[in-house]
Amino acid sequence: MSSVVFYFQVHQPFRLRRYSYFESTRNPFYFDDDKNRQILEKVAHKCYLPTNDLILKLIKRGEGRFKVSYSITGVAIEQMRNYCSPALESFVKLAETGCVEFLAETYYHSLASIHDSNEFLQQITLHSDLIHDLFGQKPSVFRNTELIYSDHIGSTVAELGFKGVIAEGADDILGWRSPNFVYSVAGQGNGGRDTRLLLKNYRLSDDVAFRFSNRGWPEFPLTADKFASWIHRISGAGEIVNLFMDYETFGEHQWESTGIFQFLEHLPEAVARHPDWDFCTPSEAIERYSSFAEIPFGRVTSWADVDRDVTAWQGNRMQISALKRIYELGDRVKQSGDEALIDTWRKLLTSDHFYYMCTKWFADGDVHAYFSPFDSPYDAFINYMNVMRDFESRLGVAPLPLADVAQMTA
Amino acid sequence: MPRIFRYPLNYPYAPSTLHIMRILMLGWEYPPHISGGLGTACEGLTVALARCGILIDFIVPRLSGDERAEHMLLVDSMNGPLEPEERGSQSAGRRRIVRRQSVKGVRTMPLPSLLSPYLNAKTFDELLAAYMSRLTAAELPPEALASSLGAIVERDAVSHYGHDIFDAVARYTSNVLSLSEGCDFDVIHAHDWMTFPAAIALSRLSGKPMVAHVHSLEYDRSGANVNPQIQSIEKLGIEAADAVIAVSYYTAAIIQQQHAINGEKISVVHNGVYPRRVIQKYRRNQGWPSKVVLFLGRITFQKGPDYFVEAAAKVIPHVPDVMFVMAGSGDMLNRMVDRVHQLGIAKNFHFPGFLKGEEVEEMFSVADLYVMPSVSEPFGISALEAINYDTPVIISRQSGVSEVLGHALKVDFWDIDRMSDLIINGLMHEELRQDMVSMAREELRRLRWDASALKTIEVYRRLL
Repeated sequence: MSSVVFYFQVHQPFRLRRYSYFESTRNPFYFDDDKNRQILEKVAHKCYLPTNDLILKLIKRGEGRFKVSYSITGVAIEQMRNYCSPALESFVKLAETGCVEFLAETYYHSLASIHDSNEFLQQITLHSDLIHDLFGQKPSVFRNTELIYSDHIGSTVAELGFKGVIAEGADDILGWRSPNFVYSVAGQGNGGRDTRLLLKNYRLSDDVAFRFSNRGWPEFPLTADKFASWIHRISGAGEIVNLFMDYETFGEHQWESTGIFQFLEHLPEAVARHPDWDFCTPSEAIERYSSFAEIPFGRVTSWADVDRDVTAWQGNRMQISALKRIYELGDRVKQSGDEALIDTWRKLLTSDHFYYMCTKWFADGDVHAYFSPFDSPYDAFINYMNVMRDFESRLGVAPLPLADVAQMTA
Repeated sequence: MPRIFRYPLNYPYAPSTLHIMRILMLGWEYPPHISGGLGTACEGLTVALARCGILIDFIVPRLSGDERAEHMLLVDSMNGPLEPEERGSQSAGRRRIVRRQSVKGVRTMPLPSLLSPYLNAKTFDELLAAYMSRLTAAELPPEALASSLGAIVERDAVSHYGHDIFDAVARYTSNVLSLSEGCDFDVIHAHDWMTFPAAIALSRLSGKPMVAHVHSLEYDRSGANVNPQIQSIEKLGIEAADAVIAVSYYTAAIIQQQHAINGEKISVVHNGVYPRRVIQKYRRNQGWPSKVVLFLGRITFQKGPDYFVEAAAKVIPHVPDVMFVMAGSGDMLNRMVDRVHQLGIAKNFHFPGFLKGEEVEEMFSVADLYVMPSVSEPFGISALEAINYDTPVIISRQSGVSEVLGHALKVDFWDIDRMSDLIINGLMHEELRQDMVSMAREELRRLRWDASALKTIEVYRRLL
């Protein structure tokens, strides 16, 4: 028997508004409520609502045989609650079917796993509590922001008692090994724990997420039958196929007119047509299949770009500087005991803010290759630093006179 | 006539016809004696064209003798080619397009061509007046305005302006016509309106196609206060041209809007830049304050110096020990000096005047930020020069260079709040400046003159 494991990522950041230097120390409102509402409503109507309807229909039709999993960030849930509660209710309905698993992650979709281990644990707890309150299940499998993973993160998560972690099936990490088996977090020794690793099959995942509507792709058009036949070919050479992708793939990245919903609608029956194949959730996969081996990760990986590393968030000087400065405020923020201040600080930790400062793709002159609310990575940085200046003044951190800043950075 | 010729390796077209394109170029200035980006652009483009095997004779009103242009024949409109005997062996043997000697039948005047394409008539009058005492007679040669030319620059209009830039244009026109009498060339390529009358006349007389290369428009230079005569010459040239080259999409759009011509005739060829080494010796020499923000250009309406001053006034209270440098000259200089005193920021302001050569290099090198707040900038080559000296740039969105430069901070010229925000952050964050410069230098590698030359050759080929 072999299984397809679907996991969909749902995330929306609290985007910052245009914030001028001259407002800082004067204006405590940082987030662009109008834009965040617009984007959430748009994505809800194009993706969350119709896709949830379809998934619900497929679950009912499958009578317990079609299963999926989600990871929904705390900040996405908050925005659904604020701006489009029907979207949140539709996720609750999915939870009630018993065929949907919700994974753990950092509440604020942050990079705390790399920069602040205490904050990392706190955000995981915050998120797990929220998921429990909302969906009535306590997450037992962890997925980190952007699938960022290292051996250190793996053992931290293992210590927290998670049964499994999701990571990218990066070629240089896997080597000759296939992503289509269950593995274990490396270096757990004799502690008796065995936290498993589920690795993304990025070829098959990206066929759907990125290439589905690409007319230049030799496999275009991709039908459910064709895709199922590729999965069936793995029979005997793998036990699971991990299809991990952004949920916005359905209806937002791949528009409805591309036929993505018809594809999804027909996929369960096409996959199940082969007697050896079914669907399961990540924790079922961990229970059902035994670990093939430990996999040591020699580096920090993620599911981003061809590099599958973290340079999209901390690859240039601006990003490193902004990250250092915001994380340095952590102790002070928490000592204040001011819940609103702590919440604002955490919203500033969301990885998207640093992603907007990325200059990597900008180098190709292809300035429209990625989505950012800013004109350039430099604008994103300046805006963030203007906000940071205000935030620091609220914390009582005296803004440095410029001459000192210049000396520090020289 | 077929000739044996070894094509340079990078000649982009198969030599099926064994014909070398010969271009007669009409320009108004050439480095090192330049008043703005026009001369720099002409040098950059002709060097790259020559590398592609194009033969160029380039006629300017006046040469000083210290120009270096081994890649083509540089011709003084009054005295003929620049030191032809000393030209390198590489080009010594090649056939010239224009005649060498000074022109018979044209009485040249001892008046230097003081013409700056950027000066308005008033300033030109002032400059000219300084030289008038040395003139015995400022006669226009009767044959200067050939019959074909008469249709272009009306004699009445010219005489109405007296000894001004139109005189100089007329004189240049007649000299060019004489120099090129009996010459053979394939295309006439004219840079900006001052050379358009000559190009139109030459094109009509010779039947050869004309390319009008627009580096700047009267609209850019003067905004609402355009000189109608300059604009009409510009329009005539653009209409008469068989092809128009605009230095940006921004300029192409304004040409269409101002002159209502068929857009298909316009090709956009962005300027390029040649990489230069940063001259370390200038880096943070003695005596500079901790932060330097630079404006470098003509201090005229077009360049938006007033927005720079107003932004500086907003920055200074937040940034101690900053120096704003406004380098250049122009008709708004006095007003800017007055405004700086009025705002009480004179101690953070420096007006070094018009800078040349090494002074420019030093200025770019010591600056922490280069600001180009132009109201209307067809291209803005100086932004690329600044990056060459590792200085990050803030450029107005109303510029052609913002079409090709991603790694810059961009602002609408009128948005003083935003401009000062960018300046403050630019000064405050070394990491921002470093990221911008390192990425922008990568980007400059793609803005090569070679690419501009290939596009220009494509324009020529469509005309042949």
